[in-house]
Amino acid sequence: MSDGRSWDGHWKVRLYERVRERGYESLTAFAEARPTASLLALAEELGENDLNAVQVFSGLVAEAERSHRLTRLVRGQLVRELSAHLPNGWPAVLDEAHRFDVAHALARWSTYTPETHEKRVEQAGDALLASPPPPGWRPLGPDDALLLALLPDEEA
Amino acid sequence: MRTRHWVVWFALSVLSTGCASLTPPPGRGTHLRYSPHGAAVTMGSPRSSGDTGGSAHVGDAAELARRSALAAHLSFAGALGEVSRSTRRISSELSRLKTSSGLVGHYRRVFVPFVDHASQQLRWMETGLAMATHLSTLASEMEDPDMRLALLRLGGPRLQSALLGSLLLSVWLDLLLLADVVLTQCPSYSVERLAGEMDQLWTMLGPAMTALASLEPVQVDAAAADLPALVGHLTGEFAVTRERALKSGENLQKILLVKDLIESLATASVMKMALPRMWGPATSATLGVGLMVGADGVMMGTRLVVSAEWVEMMRRLVQAGVISLPAVSAAVRIHAGQLLMSESKRDLPRGVRQALGDGPEVGAMRETGRTGAGMAEPPRHHVLPQEFREWFEQRGFTGDMRIDKFCVRLEVARHQAIHGGGNWRLGRTWPGEWNQMIMKALRRAETRAGQMLTPREILKVVAEYMTDYGISMNFTSCGGR
Repeated sequence: MSDGRSWDGHWKVRLYERVRERGYESLTAFAEARPTASLLALAEELGENDLNAVQVFSGLVAEAERSHRLTRLVRGQLVRELSAHLPNGWPAVLDEAHRFDVAHALARWSTYTPETHEKRVEQAGDALLASPPPPGWRPLGPDDALLLALLPDEEA
Repeated sequence: MRTRHWVVWFALSVLSTGCASLTPPPGRGTHLRYSPHGAAVTMGSPRSSGDTGGSAHVGDAAELARRSALAAHLSFAGALGEVSRSTRRISSELSRLKTSSGLVGHYRRVFVPFVDHASQQLRWMETGLAMATHLSTLASEMEDPDMRLALLRLGGPRLQSALLGSLLLSVWLDLLLLADVVLTQCPSYSVERLAGEMDQLWTMLGPAMTALASLEPVQVDAAAADLPALVGHLTGEFAVTRERALKSGENLQKILLVKDLIESLATASVMKMALPRMWGPATSATLGVGLMVGADGVMMGTRLVVSAEWVEMMRRLVQAGVISLPAVSAAVRIHAGQLLMSESKRDLPRGVRQALGDGPEVGAMRETGRTGAGMAEPPRHHVLPQEFREWFEQRGFTGDMRIDKFCVRLEVARHQAIHGGGNWRLGRTWPGEWNQMIMKALRRAETRAGQMLTPREILKVVAEYMTDYGISMNFTSCGGR
């Protein structure tokens, strides 16, 4: 799949070319049209092996900083991680297998979070484990009610 | 004529499917079939899965990658089973020998060490097979096909050395069995001479065993290249001793008994192709008969050297970069026997080599897998950070799984991009530095899970980040303990 090619040349230029070719104004618009796709799936749709998930994420961060919608992006990232790692929704029982999947999703979420939001993401993760959402909970986008309650927008 | 036609067809089909498995063009190479001992996995045409939000093309490629990893895994398991059966047979024969009145009789002090040599060699093979089995099990728990293949490659050297070692050891076992027959049935055969012969043969065999046990690619390949000639020599010695033993028999009845005993031991041997038949016509009749790929496998004349299933199994392993072509070629030549052993320095016939997976990709893979031809080697980088060696050791990354086995070669520019986050403010807003990031992810996951992560879980986390970063899972070893 990946051969390191994605770091060659001007990947930033590549990234925006592909976004425009697909008829989107911004990378954010492209990503929001696919709210449950993983970063990897977004990267694969944008490039054939010459763009990667990290680049897509950094592009999204840059755009969200400019539009002051970082918190929304952070919520959206949890949506992506949860649909990749808990495709059947939040587990009813946190048994051995599910415990790792939940931990994996939350750990990934914290690495795909800008420093400014790390603390809040940590707290949100604690809250999710302390009082678990209803079984089968599977947010479909950053506007999910439970998610909004967990991590409301702060930016003006 | 017909066979010849078949050979061409086979070579072509091998070439086309062979290419497809590495860089699959969509819609091709969709009927991969592998059948070890009757169990067949038939791969249908790939479904286009759009569920990940990727295009149909991406779905197909991912599906093909999964299938070829599965096929390689099945071959790995098949080869592992085959070699294990062989070592188990050797092991039980050795214990039987230890109760025999021949080797463990009057001259036990002289002959028991020869049996012990074999037992000692068997030990590293069994350890290696256990390690390879462990890696194979771990690989089956990986969803990511690249990580699955990477783990199989990690077990490759163990499997390869055990494969060749067990061939060599079964030849030694035959020599032991012959010595046993001589000691019990041929009292007029000089014991001193027999002991001298055995000693000399072990002196020849020992270094090859040591090289195989070292698992060093260069040493193993060199040993593999010499192995057919060595087995050829041992076979020759076996035949000479056998003749002498027969001549030493006092009467016809005795001679026939000895002949029966010797003949029965050589039927399960890897030498059976090579040994001249005892009373029959000389094998020079096979001179000029080369190896050929036929419907049933690799043939020499009308004799089957190795089965089609075996060829297919090895082809997949060679193509997946799990074992090396020289090793497989040596095994084929040993199976083919006398004629090819004496021509060991020569390559296998082209058709056979292709059938075994010597495609252009393999050549390229081997080239990049080692120090490239005179080219500066990109720096290697630990994927599991060195600074946290102990952390990984505590979680099972030791021995064949130590962190030095999980290194990747990165071009300097890429290395900087990944470490520093490139030029796009990654460094400031997002601590994208690989080591820091991966440790953070692993530690968070562990805290959240409330218990130590297993190697399986760690590799799962790592595989996903490597894919995210566009780093391919072509692991290589790098310096370290």
